Amino acid sequence: MDYTFQFTEVLKELPYLLGGAGVTLLIAFVSFWAGAIIGLFGAVAKVYGGKMVRNIASGYVIFFTNTPALVQIFLLYYALPDVGILLGPLTAVLIGLILNSGAYLTEILRAGVISVRRSEIEAAATLGMSGMQVLRYVMLPHIAKTIYAPLSNFFVWLVLGSSLAALFGVEELTGRAINISTANLRSIETFTIVAAIYVVLTVLASTSLALVGRWAFRVRAKVF
Amino acid sequence: MFERLVEEAPLFFNYHNLVFIAQAMGRTLGMTVIGCSVGFFFGLLIAVLRQSSMTALMPLRAVAIAYVETFRRIPFLIILFIVLFVIEPLMPGTSLFGIATVSVCLLSTAFLSEIIRSGLESVPQQQMEGARTLNFSALQMLFMVVLPQSWKVIVPPATAFVVMFIKDTSLASQLGVIELTFAGKMLVNRGFSPVLGFGVILFCYFALSYPLSRLSAYLEKRLASS
Repeated sequence: MDYTFQFTEVLKELPYLLGGAGVTLLIAFVSFWAGAIIGLFGAVAKVYGGKMVRNIASGYVIFFTNTPALVQIFLLYYALPDVGILLGPLTAVLIGLILNSGAYLTEILRAGVISVRRSEIEAAATLGMSGMQVLRYVMLPHIAKTIYAPLSNFFVWLVLGSSLAALFGVEELTGRAINISTANLRSIETFTIVAAIYVVLTVLASTSLALVGRWAFRVRAKVF
Repeated sequence: MFERLVEEAPLFFNYHNLVFIAQAMGRTLGMTVIGCSVGFFFGLLIAVLRQSSMTALMPLRAVAIAYVETFRRIPFLIILFIVLFVIEPLMPGTSLFGIATVSVCLLSTAFLSEIIRSGLESVPQQQMEGARTLNFSALQMLFMVVLPQSWKVIVPPATAFVVMFIKDTSLASQLGVIELTFAGKMLVNRGFSPVLGFGVILFCYFALSYPLSRLSAYLEKRLASS
């Protein structure tokens, strides 16, 4: 086996790859926040909703958490044209990831909502706190403590999961890696460097999330 | 769209297609089961290694930590590509299924070792001290004191993790392993409607993972109360 590694070929393309990393982060960001909105409604529906609403919310969560995002997006991308809706690759991927993260975030946020004990809310009301004060000083600290670590893990999961966008031709980090490796034929080097970029990206993401959590919610989230 | 489904359904659900899908399902399951079993074994080794405090094992521990922390932060798709391009020249003729399974093993080792480690850490320190006082050897301590108590912390998230892996193996379709997702693509390419093809595939995945995620939720409740 004589194979000489040539990383210079790939390092030349580093700015192009880092641009792709930006797209990756953007996809993760958009799907996280849009998913959080769905998740908030879902969690409230599951905890406080009537039977019907609860069932719809759980059906949604069960379907999306038990089937692969890749096949869901295939379905969106190839089946919707049958009914006359043509989605671009990026839109299809975003819709798929948003629906997915909505389902996961419903579960995470639900755990946060039920972590607040009824007696504490009642105690706060007895002390004459207003609704907003109860939310701010009693409910939020509990919710933040319960959900912060799973939330930041989920964001990292989204950054990694967004790599499937490459299979639909979206030029994010993985997509650009595939582009480069087909041009320079240095596949091992290219994908190793891209793997390193992903590691740096997720370490940065979880470190900054841990710092924000410590500063804003006094949550001690672990990075490693 | 609906008429097309009704028209194609009898053609779609013929004997050969069903056998084809069943085989593909077997491959998906095979990759997950082999990958997660191997991952559990090595994950346990790594977790125990990280718990130990022998100075001689220091470098090994550093390697283990580096391995776990990097592989948990690389997308499965990238790992698949790297394993493909490394194994292909080293061992030409390795089946694509083998390559995908190796990638699953690499990733599941990293994830499962973290789950197992948090399980091992849940056992109170006094138990270990007590065992040491009773002159237990390290292995006896592991198998008779630590593991029996950490199962209930390990098993529920580990089951949930297997569900995640059933879904992640869908990316192996990109290599050309004929598992469920690839089977779906082939059926759609053969001219069946995507709604039917991918819909059936989604249902197959659901049939595989839903029982497991129910089991995970059940175990979590059951083991937490005991």
